[in-house]
Amino acid sequence: MIKLESIVEKYQCRIYTTSIYDPMKEIRFGFCADLMSDALMIMNTVKETGILEDTLLITGLATNQSIRTAEMLDVEVVLLVRGKVPAPQVVTLAEESGIILIGTNLTMFQTSGLLYQEGVRGIPGHAST
Amino acid sequence: MLARKHFDIQAGNYDEAGKAASEIKRTLKLEHCSKELIKRVSVASYEAEINIVIHSVGGFADCTIDDHAVYLQFVDHGPGIADIALAMTEGYSTASDESRLNGFGAGMGLSNIQKSADEMTLISDVNGTILKLKFHREGDDSHDSE
Repeated sequence: MIKLESIVEKYQCRIYTTSIYDPMKEIRFGFCADLMSDALMIMNTVKETGILEDTLLITGLATNQSIRTAEMLDVEVVLLVRGKVPAPQVVTLAEESGIILIGTNLTMFQTSGLLYQEGVRGIPGHAST
Repeated sequence: MLARKHFDIQAGNYDEAGKAASEIKRTLKLEHCSKELIKRVSVASYEAEINIVIHSVGGFADCTIDDHAVYLQFVDHGPGIADIALAMTEGYSTASDESRLNGFGAGMGLSNIQKSADEMTLISDVNGTILKLKFHREGDDSHDSE
């Protein structure tokens, strides 16, 4: 588990949704995808409650669809990688939807590796140890 | 009947795609549906809405909620699904490059909808497609989402 403020500090993240940012938000799981079809398909297999709420969606897709996907799955935080910058309308949608949107210049692989070292794991049910 | 909602869905409008699903999710929360049911309905709604945005000339969605079930109907005005069995095959997709740039077109949408819903009916010809979904509310803890 890692607190959001640690992710922001260690990976030099920009906080796009400042009005709803919660530094104490706990992240226990992570899921990486640029294809939202995959996120919807695989994250929808998680039946236990309380898992997806603590899952970080790590993506290079800086469009409304990343926010909508998170919203449908009850994921509360989206991390944009590879220095992707969301358009103002994406930030507005995230704030309206209550989705915390942050971004880092690190790649998806670097981000995932560092988070794994911190104890963040893949969502249950997909060979995540 | 507890609630009935209608949403128009525009073809090719990726900025608005997901708005109907978001409203359906909000409606289910107001009706105190369980979190588990809300997630299943939300994911199926979003996939179905995206399908209309990507593949059709436009259409609409209707959502009806009563004490027993959530009923969704997604209707578009063509050009229809040429081969439904093939479209249901995981990985098969006719999506455009534009839809892939928006994170869709993996060929998993209909399959994911089928897995999320309790009942599904899909009818299609060149004049359009009708997708009917039913989600049972049995065991739905009415206070779960409060």
